[in-house]
Amino acid sequence: MSDDSSNLYVYGITEQTAIEMAVDGVYGASTLQTVDYKSLSALTCPIDTTEPERTDEAVAAHDDVLRTVIERDDVQTVVPMGFGMAFKNARTLKGVMRGARRAFRKAFNDVEGCVELGLKVVDPADGSADPGALRATLDAELDPLSVGQTDDDLFSDRLVANRSYLVEQADRDAFDDAVETVEATHEAMLVNYTGPWAPYNFVDIRVGAEASS
Amino acid sequence: MILVDDLLIKPFVSLLDVLHAMVLEELHDVDAIRDEIKENQLLYELGERPQAEYERRKTELETNLQVAEQVREKLIDGNIEVQ
Repeated sequence: MSDDSSNLYVYGITEQTAIEMAVDGVYGASTLQTVDYKSLSALTCPIDTTEPERTDEAVAAHDDVLRTVIERDDVQTVVPMGFGMAFKNARTLKGVMRGARRAFRKAFNDVEGCVELGLKVVDPADGSADPGALRATLDAELDPLSVGQTDDDLFSDRLVANRSYLVEQADRDAFDDAVETVEATHEAMLVNYTGPWAPYNFVDIRVGAEASS
Repeated sequence: MILVDDLLIKPFVSLLDVLHAMVLEELHDVDAIRDEIKENQLLYELGERPQAEYERRKTELETNLQVAEQVREKLIDGNIEVQ
């Protein structure tokens, strides 16, 4: 358990699990510990502020810690928190967990046993791709293997698809195979397949108002 | 006389201020620069952009982003005016 008097940075929430592990955390934190409230455990590291600055390095550390936890055999589901959730101490954090317990429970039900996988498909430099055919292949091959999908921001003119998929842990191998099929079918296109991620695009929990109280 | 000058000239100065602000926003579009940073990262990860070019572009875009964010803050504060 965590020292009750120090500031705590929270990465996400899991079903109650006792975890203490070495990590490369936000602001150089090196030990991840859980703080329990009833059936929930918050994934926390000590931090010296309740208002961490959002930098590329800090956001990457936040994501990396969650990815490490997702890969543990004793963790089935992680409900991620957005970057920047820091609390004065464990008591304050438990108060927030008590207040948001219903929202967490609903989020667990929505993403139970699932991870998020990301797929970006880029047009070749000569612009020879057929976006319609690609999207049809994605719909046919990947949608049936996923619990949910989101169409994300097409931040580049060359991006033909930018999708996030919510996939059950048990279906990950089949999903990997289906992505290979997509690549083989559209071999001129460039495919960026990432994950597993915590399911950021499929849960939306904000506790900002109470975060530093 | 001063009153007449104000009435005749002020609307044009205000219009110039607005146009100037629009041009600055267009030149320093924070969202567009952030998109370019993401595109640069993606093309590098896909192996299409060599590391040297990726790093040069990254540095250039991060500098542009800093400038654009400063310009946006000043526009919000109303600190940029046509002289």
